[in-house]
Amino acid sequence: MLGNFDYVKPKTLTEALEYLDRHGPESKLMAGGTDLLVLVRRNLAMPAHLVDVKGIAETGRLEFIPGQGLFIGASVTVNEVAGSEAVKERYPALAQAAGSLASHQLRNRATLVGNICNASPGADLAPPLLVFEAVVHMVSLLGSRMVPVAEFFTGVKKTVLRPEEMVIGVSLPEPPPGDRSLYLKQARIKGHDLGIVGVAARLTGEKRFCLAMSAVAPTPIRLFQLEQTLNAQPLSPALAERAGEEARRWIHPISDVRSSAEYRTHVAGVLVKRAVARLISGEGTYDA
Amino acid sequence: MMVDPYYRHVGRPEIRVDARDKVTGRALYVHDLELPGMLYARVLHSPHAHAEIVSIDKSAAEALPGVKAVLTGQELPYLLGLYMIDKPILARRKVRYQGESVAAVAAVDERTAEKALSLIRVEYRPLPAVLSVDEALEARVLVHEDINELDYVKGVFFPGPDSNIASWNRTIKGDLRKGFAAADLVVENELTLPQVAHVPLETHVAIAQADPYTDRVTIWTSTQSPFAVRNLVARAFGVSRRDITVMVPYVGGGFGGKAGIHLEPLAMVLSRACKGRPVKVQATREEEFNQLPVRAGMRGRVKTGVTKDGKITAMEIYFDWDGGAYADYGVNVGRAATYSGAGPYEIPNIELHSRTLYTNKVYSTAYRGFGHLETHWIVERQMDLVAQRLGMDPYEFRMKNILRDGSITISGERINAWSGRVDHCLEAVAREIGWTGYRSEAERQAAFQTGKARGKGIACLHKAPAMPTNTATAAIMQLDEEGNVRVLLGAVDMGQGVYTIMGQVAAEILDMPLEKVKVICESNTDANPYDWQTVASKYAFMGGNAVIRCAEDLLRQLKEVASRALHCPVEELTHGEEKIYHIQHRDKALTYRQLALGYAFGNGNAIGGPIIAHGHYIAEGLTNLDADGQGLPALDWTYGAHGVEIEIDVETGEIRVLKMASAFDVGKALNRKLCEGQIIGGAVQGLGSALVEGYKFTPDGRLLNPSFTDNKIPTAKDIPDQIVPILVENPQVDGPFGARGLGEHPMISVPSVVANAVYDALGINFYELPLSPERVALAIARHSDPANAGCNDPSNASAGRDNPDASGRHAASPRGETA
Repeated sequence: MLGNFDYVKPKTLTEALEYLDRHGPESKLMAGGTDLLVLVRRNLAMPAHLVDVKGIAETGRLEFIPGQGLFIGASVTVNEVAGSEAVKERYPALAQAAGSLASHQLRNRATLVGNICNASPGADLAPPLLVFEAVVHMVSLLGSRMVPVAEFFTGVKKTVLRPEEMVIGVSLPEPPPGDRSLYLKQARIKGHDLGIVGVAARLTGEKRFCLAMSAVAPTPIRLFQLEQTLNAQPLSPALAERAGEEARRWIHPISDVRSSAEYRTHVAGVLVKRAVARLISGEGTYDA
Repeated sequence: MMVDPYYRHVGRPEIRVDARDKVTGRALYVHDLELPGMLYARVLHSPHAHAEIVSIDKSAAEALPGVKAVLTGQELPYLLGLYMIDKPILARRKVRYQGESVAAVAAVDERTAEKALSLIRVEYRPLPAVLSVDEALEARVLVHEDINELDYVKGVFFPGPDSNIASWNRTIKGDLRKGFAAADLVVENELTLPQVAHVPLETHVAIAQADPYTDRVTIWTSTQSPFAVRNLVARAFGVSRRDITVMVPYVGGGFGGKAGIHLEPLAMVLSRACKGRPVKVQATREEEFNQLPVRAGMRGRVKTGVTKDGKITAMEIYFDWDGGAYADYGVNVGRAATYSGAGPYEIPNIELHSRTLYTNKVYSTAYRGFGHLETHWIVERQMDLVAQRLGMDPYEFRMKNILRDGSITISGERINAWSGRVDHCLEAVAREIGWTGYRSEAERQAAFQTGKARGKGIACLHKAPAMPTNTATAAIMQLDEEGNVRVLLGAVDMGQGVYTIMGQVAAEILDMPLEKVKVICESNTDANPYDWQTVASKYAFMGGNAVIRCAEDLLRQLKEVASRALHCPVEELTHGEEKIYHIQHRDKALTYRQLALGYAFGNGNAIGGPIIAHGHYIAEGLTNLDADGQGLPALDWTYGAHGVEIEIDVETGEIRVLKMASAFDVGKALNRKLCEGQIIGGAVQGLGSALVEGYKFTPDGRLLNPSFTDNKIPTAKDIPDQIVPILVENPQVDGPFGARGLGEHPMISVPSVVANAVYDALGINFYELPLSPERVALAIARHSDPANAGCNDPSNASAGRDNPDASGRHAASPRGETA
């Protein structure tokens, strides 16, 4: 319950990276701490060093630059994302997913980057990042690299992030006008709860579908094959039905304390069908 | 809001006296208390559901600097229990559930105590575990291998030799065989519900300070039962009640889980082991879920015989309680089911068996409703299931059999004109939700096509306090020099508002402003008058009567002094507006204030003295149940009914409660706002049991959801769109101002009414709780799958008609219908 660790809060990126260079494998990076401290309290994570990234100025940036897109720094809270006008206008699926995560109080602490670095299969914020083809910015003393979010997750609670690296933020390209997106989530209760299944769906101005889901596979997934099938068809209510049916073929959910695989499969189809139908009907449109 | 013009205070929606302290955060709870030299305890828990303790090595823990004591069951030769004396303070020789306390450390801080726990080495030899009622009944493995030697309250509880039956209580009335022979239709069903946690906002906590030179001990604890803690500590340790002081400041919710005795003995033995330093034992949220007791799971098998025109001729019921590792209140929950477990109906012939079973799970205790939510899950579903088979409106079917003036209950009690009216409650909720009977299959199909199915349901309920026949309480009042009244009670206010309504009752009788009545919001067994314990929805009734009598005693004493001061007979004095005055010459008067500490004449002569009044109330006229469950156990019955309208998302399975109407015959609402608060809170808590809550275990008996991550309860977003509390007021003549209890009742029958509405919406019957989106959606999917059309999958226990288990007792019985 009362983990034994050194807590450091570097003021600069260099300071943080130097610390990670020395102690990376025994360290855990912390932003909001809403996932990490629960693990520490239950002795499921026992880091010797806890590196708080919130003191690093670059991580606080939440900025939309027309023509470039959106940048969300590692310390930006989920409530900041949910409340951002730029996000609500241009990335509705992301704003909705952010608004559905945990409770208002937790969203004041939890960060978007923390949510994806925790790499839970059920991460609420991963599906919208997947459909917007976000890029994860990682740095270490050796330099920086950028990885598409679709390649960021490698397994349950696993990512490509190396011990000496940290994520400083995530960038999302600017969607062109006419872009539509939304996020649907099924949980056990309507209040504060983890998702049983989450679906982010996007229909671009060129009528191209992007679909991503959480909690139906070891990592959050993008449904590329399903997208291809849908993109080959004309938009119609029957397409939504078909999307729901087919979605069930591309996922591999497990049974756990929150849901059986059977219900996850069932409700995944329902949510995909609904998401596609609502996009076709014009919901979630961004008009510049 | 309606206010009775006849009363100055009673019935008024007064704001609770503790509200300001609580909303400003000034209220102190045991968690807030720090004493000089206090030590902190942490507890080591069993990882196994059932295992022998081969050895415990605590030497490394004891050697850790800052550790003051490490205790194991070996040093603690005490057994505790309310009815079955079966529970050690720390496990001895074996563990009986995953989460059971095995060792405890007291140290200078929590961190050190936690570290010490990690140094304790326990070697276990796992044993096969008893994890279901069937395994318990088979008795191939015994949870208490020494059950034959356990001490228990004889004549009231009936443990089975060489079994896992902690108590087998029964009701036998009439002739079951003849009753079923007279039936045109016999309907049999089996329903189940899982274990559920109380989830008080404040977890259990106790601080004990034991005197190192004598038996004296002071205990600060978050309990509903200060006097029961005193009594049980005295019994367990063989010390005098004189030496035990129990202090209870504010309590952050109990719901039955803080009745009886829990962490207090552990705090006490640790304090003794630490030479009298105070030791604080506070449960983490995980311990609250996994170590401290819960509401039992239950399987109910019910068989009802009815005539064609809907009169019940016979019922046979088996309630098998998944009671967990220790009996605690569980056996008394099982016993209470024997006189109320058939619902508020007249049943001429009945056999009801209630078996509280030991299993290797976290043990069970009282939980708001004391078994009635569980028993009503069985019988109020059965009323609808029988009505369906009869092709009768379930409202009409209930009304044909409902208890009325002159009806005889299953324990042989005659209901009279002042017992309250369950039919009025049912009428009121049916009117409120616009009940017109089940919708037709065509209407269901039409709604189903829209994706949103709607349904309505009704259900009734009743409950009387489950308590010893000689349960008693008392109140004390004192006046100060300003004529204020201080009221001391034995009850604990854990949120139900007892201090507020007792202030209203006192101010009413004394005819004085409410602001001048101060009810002391803390319990101290050395200062407060006795109360059995704050449980069973009995305090408004019993405490109210004690406070009335106490106020009358105060007036009598004031009049005695006034009679001498005013030179007139007591008989010619009356009271009003804080004065004692002559009935004819009203200017011949003295204020309470002038009499409070004694009266002084003009020449200086003084008479009287500080006024201290008392009043008590003891349950009168109750009798013990005989071996067939016959007797008079009920001080008062509170009747109620729920009506609900729901909307179901037929794809996701989510149930949204559009409207919930809940009516209770409270006799007289002493405080309308608090009554409505109880109803709303109870309705929402009941919806938790209906829709969300339930313990889940691994196949080897480990609890899978011991935290808020996966043990969800309803949030503000999950409450019904509309809750309509309805207060029916047919007075209870011997209740205070006609009042009856209401604390527990609002959550009873909530799961039943929701499942009844689900049937109305979908035509699918559910037999298991909770009605989670998953359970509902998968049942709909199976129901609408053409492959299943026209047949009910017998392997699907959650949705199928009349599905008695094909094994055991039911194998010999006809399934469903007999001619």
